[in-house]
Amino acid sequence: MPEMSEEYVKRLPKSEELNAMTEQSLRAAFAGESQAAEKYVVFAAQAEEEGLPNIAKLFAAISFAETRHARNHWRVLGGIGKTADNLQTAFAGESFEIEEMYPAYAEIAKLQANKEASRSIRYALKAEEDHKRMYAEARQAALRGKDIADQPVSVCTICGHTVIGDLPDKCPVCAAAKEYYRTF
Amino acid sequence: MAEPFMNTPPKPERLGAMTEENLKAAFAGESQASQKYLAFAVRAGEEGYPNVARLFAAVAFAESAHARNHLNVMGGIGSTADNLKAAFGGESFEISEMYPAYSAVAKMQGNAEAVTSIRYALAAEKDHQAIYEATGKKVVGGADLDATPVRVCPVCGHTIVGEAPDECPVCGTAGQFFRSF
Repeated sequence: MPEMSEEYVKRLPKSEELNAMTEQSLRAAFAGESQAAEKYVVFAAQAEEEGLPNIAKLFAAISFAETRHARNHWRVLGGIGKTADNLQTAFAGESFEIEEMYPAYAEIAKLQANKEASRSIRYALKAEEDHKRMYAEARQAALRGKDIADQPVSVCTICGHTVIGDLPDKCPVCAAAKEYYRTF
Repeated sequence: MAEPFMNTPPKPERLGAMTEENLKAAFAGESQASQKYLAFAVRAGEEGYPNVARLFAAVAFAESAHARNHLNVMGGIGSTADNLKAAFGGESFEISEMYPAYSAVAKMQGNAEAVTSIRYALAAEKDHQAIYEATGKKVVGGADLDATPVRVCPVCGHTIVGEAPDECPVCGTAGQFFRSF
């Protein structure tokens, strides 16, 4: 895998001690690149629907380029640790979204009677609960130097519901049929 | 490529200002989580945890679905002609404002690796801006791009329509490592 080869890694920007303003800049750039990458993936799907497959391919390619920038900035920020630490970081992020962010957003969307926003928030909140549990279990394994079991991980392409093992007949969160899941 | 998701995800609606602000923040959060998890997946693979790597990749994909849903509710997905214009606008801002300012600060502070990471991005955004502009003109004329492959340097993101060079002109990575779309 080229991503791990020495030839490849030596060209990547490395983690370094950052001054505060440069760190702030890189954090903003990481946010911008991450969002651009997601937008372009969605724009690719839209182009495909309009019968423009080559433009779809272009958006997919440029999305990939933006993921390279996001990864580079994140490396320089020192954001990539050992897997046990990364699982802890991931667990903490999911916990914040479950306990603070999405409940607050859901309350406001409800107050403002924004039904579609409420649905988008509910879908995310539900899935983050799955993720938090999975990350906690994986971290326990990684702390003992062990991998998790070799089982399929499947994701609902509509709402992000995430399940390890057998697929349900339909998504318990958004009711999409099991054909809508993507398996990893 | 075309996901069969377009029938039931949340739809665009008129949003209260606070709800719109929250969805913007949630879109930013989901997008960043997705990218972090992809980087964590690579690291897990390197450390000999292929199944943890797969878990990170799957959850990154779930966060992408959330990002897409939030973006759609905010009305952020238009026709391809509009999307190309939005993409061009974003790249232009990064080229003329964001990265030059960040680069100046990083140089002033002597943060060499940050300077490199910013330089890689800025160089590629210029490729993207030019490609989006040319493509936008074609779509307004009702045409798709031709089927020429698009190639991307996996280290710095340098992007070209057509053959990969022997070596990336931005970061020196061998052309054989370029990913083709």
